[in-house]
Amino acid sequence: MADEMKMRATMLGEVADVKVRMTHFMETGARKDPKTGKLIPPHFIDQVVATLNGKTVLDAQMGIAVARNPFIGFRVKGAKPGDKIVVNAVDNLGTKFSGEVTVAAR
Amino acid sequence: MKRNDSQLTLFTFALCFSIVAPTSASEAAKGKKTTQLELKNSAYATPWERYKGWPETLWSEFSTLTKMVPSPIGKPIKIEGAIEGDPKKGEKLAFDRARGGSCLACHVMGKPTPSLPGNVGFDLSTHAIWGRSDEYIFNYIFDPRNTNPNSVMPPWGAHKLFSVEEIKDMVAFLKTQNSPAEFRDDLENPTTRPVPKEERDNLDPFVNEAMAAMEKGKVLYARAGPRKQSCASCHAEPERMFKNWAAAMPKYEPRLRKVIGVEEFVTRHARATTGDEFLLQSDQNIALSIYMRYLANGQPINVDTQSKAHKLAIQRGTKLLNTKIGQMNLACVDCHTAERGGSKWIRGQWLGEFRGQQGHFPTWRTSRTEIWDINKRFQWCNVSVRANELQPGSAEYGDLELTLSALNKGIKISVPGIRH
Repeated sequence: MADEMKMRATMLGEVADVKVRMTHFMETGARKDPKTGKLIPPHFIDQVVATLNGKTVLDAQMGIAVARNPFIGFRVKGAKPGDKIVVNAVDNLGTKFSGEVTVAAR
Repeated sequence: MKRNDSQLTLFTFALCFSIVAPTSASEAAKGKKTTQLELKNSAYATPWERYKGWPETLWSEFSTLTKMVPSPIGKPIKIEGAIEGDPKKGEKLAFDRARGGSCLACHVMGKPTPSLPGNVGFDLSTHAIWGRSDEYIFNYIFDPRNTNPNSVMPPWGAHKLFSVEEIKDMVAFLKTQNSPAEFRDDLENPTTRPVPKEERDNLDPFVNEAMAAMEKGKVLYARAGPRKQSCASCHAEPERMFKNWAAAMPKYEPRLRKVIGVEEFVTRHARATTGDEFLLQSDQNIALSIYMRYLANGQPINVDTQSKAHKLAIQRGTKLLNTKIGQMNLACVDCHTAERGGSKWIRGQWLGEFRGQQGHFPTWRTSRTEIWDINKRFQWCNVSVRANELQPGSAEYGDLELTLSALNKGIKISVPGIRH
């Protein structure tokens, strides 16, 4: 899809409030196709890594328990307006996608 | 630089116009502009099946919006003297959500006062001292139309929601209601409970999940279909071309002899042009419909109410708004006009009025985590009053959509909406 990842980061007092919305099927591998009756192969985001100016601030292992179109929110200490936050995600089929955002002042 | 830009825009506009022109030239000769629509096949998946997770009961012995089943007023039942019922059993029935939605859906009832009662009906907490005879109370519950033809209360006995014995138990329970209800706080009391206000930013993609569908619709718009054409092939610059289009929908379509909204238009026009199959209620149809209405955001709803076909459709729609359907025997007006149940509480849920209920569809429903278009909303209204729903895009829903849009004229479109 055109934009797999939408991001927003705004200062919330001393910390940056980061929101990430990804567009992904998050297929568990346990669901059957109602038409064919066959299992739909798993297809989900494995890993999400967020960096603040190149330094890793979040490393999340995700799995099939996360819903479709995952929405992740986290807060980063020490971020300042103008800092760059990059999120890199990989799914179990090896597809990589990423998004980046500049921290905005409130 | 700026000049170049505008020249380019002019050029693109002229180009797109020249593409459109040949098709409309022959029709222009007849003095008529017709849109390409596929007219033969069903716009929804057939056979139509009720959505998963919805009640499975069929209420075929009761009226629907298409089929009127006479609902004879239950004959008053003669009762001599006092009714001997079990007030404990009656209390259980009166508070039971599984049966009729419980009396508390519409009435405040007395001690102990259960949580979040509604206020469509009278406060019954002091009912015992009103001096009504047992026979009167029994028959009012059995079928209120005997005593009060304007009552919006369902005919509990005549429509077989409760048996005669059960109603007798309820009468016995009502006879214990002799002191005013006490509420823990202002939230519990339906007369002081604050009116819910939707203040979430429905156009923020981090708040409203349906914004993802809007983006999907945007992609679909530009994606070539089976005939190697996309919507954008004929309608370049959608932001400009469709700025007002959705605000004037739904429209009467003489070839289909019914009113169709954005959703069915998308299905039929795509079939006739790009060759895509966007069945009603499919994710793709909803995505494109949201996108088309999103383009008209900020425009006031401006449906045609003057043409003959539309006047007739609104007449039919107004009649439908007043048609009592289902086992609960309720019409739209019973719950959504201020003279009756509108702007009141049904248990903890606020009953809105017609105005304000149209400009935000298709809407993201946070309580169900899915997008509902206006057709699905109508279907749910039908099922809630225990009437069989119609298929999406049926003529009756078209008439209702137009009538509602006419009642919402002037209200600005803001799609996708977000509601509980």
